[in-house]
Amino acid sequence: MSPNAFYLLASLLFSIGLVGLVSRKNLFVLYMSIELMLSSVSLILATLSKVLGDAGGSVMSLLIIGVIAAEAAVFLAMIVNLYRAKKTLDSDRFTMLKEGEKND
Amino acid sequence: MLELSIFTILALFMLGGSIAMISNRQTVFSAFGFLVTMIGLAGMFALLNAQFLAIAQILVSVGAVVVLSMLTILTVNAKEENLPKEPDKYKWMLFSSVIVLPFTVLLYKTLSTLPDHFSDIDTISSKVVGKLLFSEWVLPFEILSILLLSAMVGAIVIGRDSKKRKQKPERRRRI
Amino acid sequence: MINLIVILPFFSAFFMALVYLYNTKAKRYVFYTAVGVGTPVVMTILSFMLAYELLNGSQTIHGTLFKWINIGDFDISIAFMADRLSVAMISFITFIGTLIHIYAAGYMKEDDGYGKFFVYFNLFMGSMLLLVLADNPIMMFVGWELVGLCSYLLIGFYHQDAANIKASNKAFILNRVGDFGFIMAISLLFVALGEGGFTFDAIQANIGSVSHEMLTLIGFLLFLGSMGKSAQIPLYVWLPDAMAGPTPVSALIHAATMVTAGVYMVARYSFLYVEVPDVGLFIASIGAASALFAAIIASYQSDIKKILAYSTMSQLGYMFIAVGLGAYSAGIFHVFTHAFFKALLFMGAGAVIIALHHEQNIFKMGGLKKHLKVVYITMFIATLAISGIPPFAGFFSKDAILVAAFASEHYVIWGIATFTTGLTAFYMFRMLFTVFFANKKEVQHLTPIPKSMTQPLIVLAIGSVFAGFLGVNEAYGGSSWINTFLALPDTKLHVSHSSEYMLGALNVILGLMGMGLAYKLFAKETKEPQTNTLLKSIVINKFYVDEIYEFIIIKPLLFLSHLIAKVIDPKIFDGFINLNVWTYRKSGALFGKLQNGKVRYYALYILTGVSAMSFYILIKLGVM
Repeated sequence: MSPNAFYLLASLLFSIGLVGLVSRKNLFVLYMSIELMLSSVSLILATLSKVLGDAGGSVMSLLIIGVIAAEAAVFLAMIVNLYRAKKTLDSDRFTMLKEGEKND
Repeated sequence: MLELSIFTILALFMLGGSIAMISNRQTVFSAFGFLVTMIGLAGMFALLNAQFLAIAQILVSVGAVVVLSMLTILTVNAKEENLPKEPDKYKWMLFSSVIVLPFTVLLYKTLSTLPDHFSDIDTISSKVVGKLLFSEWVLPFEILSILLLSAMVGAIVIGRDSKKRKQKPERRRRI
Repeated sequence: MINLIVILPFFSAFFMALVYLYNTKAKRYVFYTAVGVGTPVVMTILSFMLAYELLNGSQTIHGTLFKWINIGDFDISIAFMADRLSVAMISFITFIGTLIHIYAAGYMKEDDGYGKFFVYFNLFMGSMLLLVLADNPIMMFVGWELVGLCSYLLIGFYHQDAANIKASNKAFILNRVGDFGFIMAISLLFVALGEGGFTFDAIQANIGSVSHEMLTLIGFLLFLGSMGKSAQIPLYVWLPDAMAGPTPVSALIHAATMVTAGVYMVARYSFLYVEVPDVGLFIASIGAASALFAAIIASYQSDIKKILAYSTMSQLGYMFIAVGLGAYSAGIFHVFTHAFFKALLFMGAGAVIIALHHEQNIFKMGGLKKHLKVVYITMFIATLAISGIPPFAGFFSKDAILVAAFASEHYVIWGIATFTTGLTAFYMFRMLFTVFFANKKEVQHLTPIPKSMTQPLIVLAIGSVFAGFLGVNEAYGGSSWINTFLALPDTKLHVSHSSEYMLGALNVILGLMGMGLAYKLFAKETKEPQTNTLLKSIVINKFYVDEIYEFIIIKPLLFLSHLIAKVIDPKIFDGFINLNVWTYRKSGALFGKLQNGKVRYYALYILTGVSAMSFYILIKLGVM
């Protein structure tokens, strides 16, 4: 079987992650879409590892899994904090990036 | 043949799971979709002769990340009304999938220029991975450990209950 | 010394202006009279000294003030040149100017703006001298413009009356129309000849290198300036209205000096005009037409100053006939004699006006012969002079012109000019008889006229009598002294003495006939001309020329201005700018909405950018 299938799958996953990032307001879904994108990259790396015959690709994927874990911790803590502050999981309510008027 | 069918099944799992993840209104159901995707990914790793990676994926991604997400979701325990109202969800998804399409195509086309046949390789066992980790990849390994440490500390700091901090100045004022 | 002649009046004007502005109310009668009249006296003395030097055989005197423009090889200096023509002009300009200043001291005595008047008057003297003594066409143009400016200032001297302001505006604007031609002519001249230096001497030396067509064009355009300045057809309509200014102004500017600047200019450029006799013929035709036209209108006017204004226009026509047909000395000679008797006529008219408490309609005057003796006698002499009765000044100068016209075989021009001689005598004597002879029922008591006004009249009358003797041509026993002195490139005339005698006799007969007709019609009793027939109403209304100009030129211009100011400017230009502003505001607001602080949208923007780039790359790769 050819690696092209894996590549196709990875691209699709990546785009699904992007779509989820852009369309949903729920903070958790946001987070999980980001994880998905990261995972698709690690899939590509693993495929390449087999194509090239080098085990380094797998090691990279392993390290990426470590990064995923770290990111999970920070992200989820932040979501908890945000919920405590605004009692909402709507990413559209957090508009401090906007200039000018008072944003609550 | 066997490989292909396994691949197909796993791929369907992953795609279905991810689509379910991004389109569900309830947060918990999204988490379930995510779980399925991660398990499918582990299967993919196994298919690619990276056993240790597959196990690590299950341990970390499923066992730690998904569990933690579930925990947080259930702890936050958002009521129905606090969930964001997303009336145009499908419209947005359609619109952004159209926008994302060229990028996806480019990505696939670029990737497919890479050599497209698998080489014969032994299973990448833990022995191989371990050897590499401590010889060629020791620096990223160490940095990763620092990263985990700082992430842990950061998570604690961010997640700390800040109400206690706010109360202290008030007490001082009363005196 | 030559620098001093031009600088002095400017300084005195400036000095008097400072004193005047320091306190506009104080009537420093003695101071202004001393400085204002003293300056022309000094200038007269200096001019006579210059004339004396040239008479004793020295060549042209040059004097440079400083270098004004210096660009590479091209430089214009403020420099003066007194050759024979200039010195002849400045002699009589300063002399008559002094007399008129003395007259004005008496005339304007009661006026509040006495100091201001002398400031302007001296400024005018300086400008006129600048024009005449200029070394190069640019300086002459500066002087040309300055005299136009002074004319504007002085016509509108009684500025409280809106009609005077309109008159002065009219004068200036029509002057400007002529100046358009003048400027173009100077520019063309510069383009053709500028490399060898741009003074009159240099131009005269190089004039042969310019093509004939270019010379024709330049000559025509220069004359356009003259048409405006010297009130020929079609740019003459400002001259009658200019009579709204005080009488000394009319005497000095619109009789003796400024209006003759056009004739002087043609004489100065004589080296150019001898090459293009066709333009000269055109000039002479315009002159003849103006002379006749003005004489017809003057025969039916009732305002004493307007009669004299049209008379000036008519005599200027004669001067242009002369210089157009190549008799430059005859033209300048007529300028010279005309200055004497026209200034005298205006000053006398001013005296009459003052005496009758500012009455200007001749049909309300009459029988003043006994009461204003000095004025009557001097004006009678001047009228004889202007009618061309020998041995008074006008006869010799007019005769020179008519002989030149006859000899050049342009008999139509000669015929018109001769007929106009008779008409001139007629309307001038009509004015004289109506004012001084005709019986009036009552004679109100007259305001006494100060000596400062009557003395100059006497001096000028003497001049009117004797000035003609400077230019007596051989037929009558003289030697055309002025022709030889001026040394202008006149065309040689071949007329036998008998023809000259016949022409001269014809002129005298016509003059006497005009006088007799006027005596018959106006000496006994007079009534104002009524507009009862169509012909009379056309002539009395000055052939409706003002109305025609108003209709053809002024109304469309006003309409256009109104259109641009009220419609095009606010709606189109402002509208365009407002449209721009509106667009910027709206697009700004639109872009402002993009920054709503929501991360999701920002991610979408990034995604859009990336997607566009990948789309482009895909097309380049040939995949899409």
